[in-house]
Amino acid sequence: MHAVNSSQWLQPAFNDPVLDAQTSFRSALKALAEPGLAQPLNRALALENLHPATYALCLAFLDGDTPLWLAPRFDTPAIRANLAFHCGCPIVAERELALFALLDESELTDLSDFDNGSERYPDQSCTLLIQLDALSNGDALRWRGPGIKDVRSVELPLPAAFWQQRQARSAFPRGLDCFFAAGEQVIGLPRSTRVLLTTEEVA
Amino acid sequence: MNREIEQGSPLHPDPQIAARQRWMGVLARAGSGLAAYESALKETDYQLIRAPEIGMCLVRGRMGGTGSPFNLGEMSVSRCVVRLADGRTGYSYVAGRDKQHAELAALADAHLQGGDQAHWLSRLIEPLAAVQQAQQTAKAAETATTQVEFFTLVRGED
Repeated sequence: MHAVNSSQWLQPAFNDPVLDAQTSFRSALKALAEPGLAQPLNRALALENLHPATYALCLAFLDGDTPLWLAPRFDTPAIRANLAFHCGCPIVAERELALFALLDESELTDLSDFDNGSERYPDQSCTLLIQLDALSNGDALRWRGPGIKDVRSVELPLPAAFWQQRQARSAFPRGLDCFFAAGEQVIGLPRSTRVLLTTEEVA
Repeated sequence: MNREIEQGSPLHPDPQIAARQRWMGVLARAGSGLAAYESALKETDYQLIRAPEIGMCLVRGRMGGTGSPFNLGEMSVSRCVVRLADGRTGYSYVAGRDKQHAELAALADAHLQGGDQAHWLSRLIEPLAAVQQAQQTAKAAETATTQVEFFTLVRGED
């Protein structure tokens, strides 16, 4: 009607809301359980410049209890309208208040304001959903830690500043958990994973 | 529309919104009455933005009409959102677990927002409203026959 409304931006989300959300959530859990292994995440369609995997993570994770911080690149009317409609999540302007953050690679050089939890409630940290163009072809780094037998080589195309920021925000059990999504795949990086930069141990 | 409902939920001052409130109310109360219009409503292509789904809704009450609110209980609600080929979006929230009803009501809401609003109003909403009005009147008449007037006698004890 005549009132300002956002219904023109809406598009369908999951085909089968229950089954697709469960499948996507399961993929995300597996991604965290086996850090560095790409998991399929293809139950959603792309939404504007959100890849299918990124949008599926949003649909599976976000609801009215999860304030979200949007990177400027994703802060478009269509993405706002669809997240508000299908997830009902509040979108916050302050990084400190966010339980989830939707980032692109240009935002990875400063993670200082995201909540990394408290000693008593480390689980209340902000989870970073990071969309990349690809999940490979970066520098090969060796990941160790829970969920990895010995060492796993992962080639995420990430700036060195990201690893410094991650280490700076990491004080186990506090820390930031990350999901890297591209196309229809996701890789998890929990705070418990130690990343070795070729020779020296960084985080 | 019956008087009680109009009193209970005042219509919006904006006439366009009030008109939409009215037809959404009629559609929500139409129940299986909408099934007769199914083929007409589905003539144009449409897309399900939110497929019909069933959920729970908390109903709040107010003691004595003026007291503080309390949670009365939960009821099942079906909702649906559709988009027609020309971009109009229709919404529906209906009581009960009838997905077909929710989808048809959303379709009707979308059609009613377009240029052929008058056509749909006269063809769909007015007949349904008349039926609902007749049912309401019949029920009120039936109830009225059971009405008992009480009065208290002066006991004369002073």
